[in-house]
Amino acid sequence: MHRALKIYKILVAQNLKRVMEYKADFFTGAVSFLIDQAIGIAFIFIIFSQIPQLAGFQFEQIVFIYGFSQIPKGIDHLLTDNLWSVGYFIVKKGDFDKYLTRPINPLFHVIAETFQIDAAGELVVGISLMIYAAPHAALCVNALTVTLFVFAIPFCTLIYTSIKIACAAFAFWIKSSGYIIQMLYGMNEFSKYPTTIYSNIIKFFVTYIIPFAFTGYYPALYLMTGENPLFNIGGAVIISMVMLFVSVLIWNKGLKAYESAGS
Amino acid sequence: MNKIRKQYLPFVRAGVQTLIAYRMNFMGFIIGGLIYCFVMYYLWQAVFLSSGDGSFMGFSMTDMVVYIFLSNVTGQLTFSSASNDVGEEIRDGSISMRLIKPVNVDMSYLAAEIGAALMRFAVFAVPVMMGIEIYRYVVCETIMFDLVRFLLYLLSIVLAYLISFRVNLCFGFIAFYVKNLWGIGILKNSIINFLSGSLIPLAFMPEQLKIILEYMPFASMNYTPVMIYMGKYDIDEILFRLAIQAIWALITYALSKLIWFRAVKKLSVQGG
Amino acid sequence: MIYAENLRKEFTKIIKDPGLKGSFKALFKPRKEIVVAADNISFHVPKGEILGFIGPNGAGKSTVIKMLTGILTPTKGQCRINGKNPQNDRKKYVRDIGVVFGQRTQLWWDLPLVETYSVLKEIYEVSDENFKERMSFLNEVLDLKEFIRSPVRTLSLGQRMRADIAASMLHSPKVLFLDEPTIGLDVVVKDNIRRAIMKINQEEQTTVILTTHDISDIELLCDRIVMIDKGKNVYDGSLTELKKNYGQMRELTFECDNECSMSAETFKSGLHLSKDDIFIENDKNVFKIRFNSDVIPVGDMLNYTLSAARVKDIAVRDADIEEIIRRLYKEGAKPNE
Repeated sequence: MHRALKIYKILVAQNLKRVMEYKADFFTGAVSFLIDQAIGIAFIFIIFSQIPQLAGFQFEQIVFIYGFSQIPKGIDHLLTDNLWSVGYFIVKKGDFDKYLTRPINPLFHVIAETFQIDAAGELVVGISLMIYAAPHAALCVNALTVTLFVFAIPFCTLIYTSIKIACAAFAFWIKSSGYIIQMLYGMNEFSKYPTTIYSNIIKFFVTYIIPFAFTGYYPALYLMTGENPLFNIGGAVIISMVMLFVSVLIWNKGLKAYESAGS
Repeated sequence: MNKIRKQYLPFVRAGVQTLIAYRMNFMGFIIGGLIYCFVMYYLWQAVFLSSGDGSFMGFSMTDMVVYIFLSNVTGQLTFSSASNDVGEEIRDGSISMRLIKPVNVDMSYLAAEIGAALMRFAVFAVPVMMGIEIYRYVVCETIMFDLVRFLLYLLSIVLAYLISFRVNLCFGFIAFYVKNLWGIGILKNSIINFLSGSLIPLAFMPEQLKIILEYMPFASMNYTPVMIYMGKYDIDEILFRLAIQAIWALITYALSKLIWFRAVKKLSVQGG
Repeated sequence: MIYAENLRKEFTKIIKDPGLKGSFKALFKPRKEIVVAADNISFHVPKGEILGFIGPNGAGKSTVIKMLTGILTPTKGQCRINGKNPQNDRKKYVRDIGVVFGQRTQLWWDLPLVETYSVLKEIYEVSDENFKERMSFLNEVLDLKEFIRSPVRTLSLGQRMRADIAASMLHSPKVLFLDEPTIGLDVVVKDNIRRAIMKINQEEQTTVILTTHDISDIELLCDRIVMIDKGKNVYDGSLTELKKNYGQMRELTFECDNECSMSAETFKSGLHLSKDDIFIENDKNVFKIRFNSDVIPVGDMLNYTLSAARVKDIAVRDADIEEIIRRLYKEGAKPNE
């Protein structure tokens, strides 16, 4: 564990040095995600300029859910962005060879190699929105709710990460799986809004199958109501653990099927 | 003319074949887009339920459903990967391979994309449009499809596509200065989505902003054709909007050419 | 040290017919085919040996190397280094090996070279003390000093290769895999790299497995060669043995006064030779004869030719290893007696 941390630190340090070499890239990335978020908010704002509440939620409450949904997404983006590259080209081009000839876990290695500061865009917007909305969102704040809410964040993040690991691993069989990640990852749109607006089938789907509802709405709902911690928070914990287990299983099977590239 | 056809036909074919070769990618984008449509569908349904009188700034829920899907189809039809393709080729230097072929560089990109766009029209746009018409028929109990409007829509789509292609090309040229293509892509998509009306109908924007946006090139890329198809414009307005599209097509054409000529100079200075 | 036992690797390949129609067909009904990239490959390499691993393009060399380095999982068979198996404990296994793929780099592309070494130091848990010692040794052998502070992307191909070899040697591996380490390099740089490999092998008793298309690499470096073709092991033995088995070919070059028209047929019938024992190349008034000196002594051949043509100049040459390998690639190996 100590060694993993040490390696992680040094890999991240290398990454930051790289970022300093390409400042314009970092700037473009962060600004891009910032603008992307700002537009998302403008969207909600325009809707609420016409209606007082949406499915029983006030403007600030929707903003709070939206803001919170960006936190796990942003943390995952910050830490595991290289999984996209695995899906899109590292496996296809045979560049995965490198990770297999090193005496550390390839999944850890590939993830540690990238520290994606672009994610600052999401995190800054997410945190700002939560700070802005919190006083007006009728939150049920006490030691227990806040603790559980914060406690849930790493697990919410793991839901994103697990989906990416599993999808990226498909590349070991089919060479390029970037589009699968893109497709499933795109479903995080569902996490931004209350699940009560969806039909039952979709609600079931985003709760249990591709459980993005646990990366935004449910934990935020818990902080608003203080009710149902077993489902709203416990659900995120259990589901994320199951997903992580399954995705690592798929990944490890994939490693054995890896075919490299060239003759 | 015949010569041009002969010269660029291989690029069109290559475009179709690339799309087939990366068919799963293509399907991914389409399915991703449809999922997004459904999120929007439910969101707007909630909005309409909350608004009380069943209408929202002149749009009925039926209008909204048509708008969501039609805007997505239009987005697919006017989709251009030029920004990514050009950016990628600038980054790895292979753009110089385009320069040594005796064809017009931007035309070769365009030809390849037309192939892909035709495929998208056949396998995606036609079925979704049929779905939209069936939906409208079921809800309104009359056939809402209008051939003249459809043809005008097609004309508007062609103009929208040309603008989209040129705008994408310009974004692609940013790769001469910044290598973060992913970031550029996100930036480009979110700006275009918002300003072109594919995220939210421009009609819902504050009045002043709406008027400005309707005159910008982004509206010409998505909002205008969708409005034409939905019958929100009368014939005078249609002609006026088509004229604006044509003007933007010319301006963006000139702009991309200008940047390109400057870029080529830079390319030869760097020694390729 | 290294044992490869009946290694076999199969790949599934989707066959696409050419053209648009073919693409459409592949879309709905892909035709699959199993390709055997390596079949029943076995060999053993003792400690400290430099093994040349050769074969024509697409013979399956890389596939075997990738199985030996733990990158590919064999469909059948297994390999062991130091008694360890990559499928059982990959992490322990790869600590003992260093790998260089000539066409690919493991260096951090955008950063100064020295940064790569400091990362690898942590990954392979090299102590500060060892690291210093290692770096000075590698510096001496590979001469990294002049570019160790430059970003990797600015290095020349030769520098990059030296840097890559150093990267793979940092943790003092017992076995070094070099996949085409001299590809694309000029003569002087090739020579540097070869000397470095030799030195590493001599000073540290590092076992080296080397694939190459450059015959000089083999002649200068390798104690033994294993040759595979179409995924099968076709030759395994020392270089001298190879020369003994196949090296009876001699080459005579004649320059004549005028155009001479002696065909292989003339020699075959005149000297009672089979078609494998004689080859003729004719270019105006120069012609080359390659023949098997076991069947017909050089003197006899000379006499016969001199009696038939007016010769101005003669050159005699041993068939070199390149010639032998060319023959092997073309005809396949003779069974080892």
